Amino acid sequence: MSAVTGSRVAGQGLWSGPGLRLIAAGLVVFNGFFPALWILFTSLKPESELVKKPITWWPQAPSLANYVQAFTDQPLGRYLLNSAIVATLSTLLSLFVSALAAYAIARLNLRYRQAVLTTIVASSMFPLVTLLVPIFETMRALGLLNTYTALVLPYTVLNLPVCTLVLVSFFQSIPRDLENAAMIDGCTRLGALWHVVVPLAAPGVFTAGLLAFVNAWDEFLLALSLNAGATMRTVPVGIALYQGEFTFPWPIISAALIVALVPMALLIAAFQERVVGGLTQGGLKG
Amino acid sequence: MADRLPLLDRLRDPSERTLGLLLLAPAFVLLALIVVYPIGRLLWNSFFDLRLSGGGGAKFVGLDNYALVLTDQDFWNATANTLLITVITVPGALIVGLGLALLANLPFKRRWPVRLALLLPWALPLSFAGLIFAWFFHTEYGVVNDVLIRLGLEDRRDPTMWLLKPGWAMAAICLTIIWKTSSFMALILLAGLQMIPRSLYEAAEVDGATPWQQFWQVTVPMLMPSIVVALIFRTITALQTFDIPYTMTKGGPGHATQTLAMLIHATTIDYLDLGYGSTLAVCMFVMSLAVTAVYLRHIGRQAQ
Repeated sequence: MSAVTGSRVAGQGLWSGPGLRLIAAGLVVFNGFFPALWILFTSLKPESELVKKPITWWPQAPSLANYVQAFTDQPLGRYLLNSAIVATLSTLLSLFVSALAAYAIARLNLRYRQAVLTTIVASSMFPLVTLLVPIFETMRALGLLNTYTALVLPYTVLNLPVCTLVLVSFFQSIPRDLENAAMIDGCTRLGALWHVVVPLAAPGVFTAGLLAFVNAWDEFLLALSLNAGATMRTVPVGIALYQGEFTFPWPIISAALIVALVPMALLIAAFQERVVGGLTQGGLKG
Repeated sequence: MADRLPLLDRLRDPSERTLGLLLLAPAFVLLALIVVYPIGRLLWNSFFDLRLSGGGGAKFVGLDNYALVLTDQDFWNATANTLLITVITVPGALIVGLGLALLANLPFKRRWPVRLALLLPWALPLSFAGLIFAWFFHTEYGVVNDVLIRLGLEDRRDPTMWLLKPGWAMAAICLTIIWKTSSFMALILLAGLQMIPRSLYEAAEVDGATPWQQFWQVTVPMLMPSIVVALIFRTITALQTFDIPYTMTKGGPGHATQTLAMLIHATTIDYLDLGYGSTLAVCMFVMSLAVTAVYLRHIGRQAQ
């Protein structure tokens, strides 16, 4: 990733000076941060300032009142908890299932392993909305609407392809000799998997887990369709349905958005390189 | 892949095979449960009158649902909107994403602000992007109209009613989708850019190629594999567009921005008409199958 510093790279000829380079960085940073920054400003303005015209840019009298209201008008804390539970459970389940599959694909002499991998990847390309009808019908028949199970199961499958792709490439990067040595020393195959491969694959497992967690945290359509009950909403659904009750309480929605964004932004900021690495190996989300 | 020794392959030991089946079983059980069974169920349902609101059981109606699709104005409107969004936002995200990737690929001293600026829109839920941009495009208090007025491009007494007029609403939705998806595109293309050997540029320079020529003769061809994969994935997700129009306009004004996914969602969840909802979903399924087939052929060709 950092091999390009100070060297000739694509486009450099057009943007050679340090000043122009700063403008380029400024453009990218503005594009990425401005929307979140604007929502932060909005969340700090009282309603009276928001309806002033022409609109103000900087908050004139910043206050945290909207944040308090975001938690008291709607059970935002509960939404955050729901999202955390659903995303965590589906990520762990997805990692477990895809680690087994990825190991088989990467390590065993299976005749159809390329076909198996293609099948798993292709399954992710079916549009989720077409699966919505039968999933809704089944969950409704089983009385599972408005339960964590209704989301955990589909999210686990949703993340199988990404996790499997990332983990296959990590398993393949672990020297087979290490495993063979452990087996010669008397480990069983599963023992070698647990004592040698799993610790070495830990970074890959973490990366895959991070991608799965973000995907599950962001999902909207299924969460809206299966778990719209007032106490079972995830954060994206909860905030999107704030609108219904009043006439678009923008300052409160902004505060809720910031509350929901900060943990995710910190997570991404802390593990940037891993996320980028994982995305280029198996990221399918767009 | 890992080892290709034909001898080892022929002497495949049967316990390895059993182990493989055991390890793959959970994944396949889940896929069968949440992907294969639903697809079968979907096809089955599409031949029935399955309205949960009316009471009474399922009634076999043959191809009636499909006949209804052909004359359904809402279906054709939603399909046209979905295709329009796809045709605008896929190339749009590619162009913006390529621009961002080229800028982000410059030799900065600190790379993290630029990288984080690409990751943040990717990690942001689509529904959040919809809400944020709905506020941007607010007629009275939105920052978009404010900037346009300050630049003198718009009259203060007659601001654009972005989300309330059909054409403008579609434009606002497309811009939002392009903003949201171009970052992912940029991350994929950036990885591709960093794989291009420097020597190719040096050789082009020796041959007297201008930066513009270098871009078209070296960068674009070398980047093509990444571009194709990114485009196919973007097309598949664009056909499923739901979150952003739902949070920005709920499909309005009227049905001007309703996508196929929104129509399926409304038919199934709001009207509980599972038979017709399934039929609409089968139509969508066929459309995306075509794109998936293109993708599978592409990776099949690469694997050879």
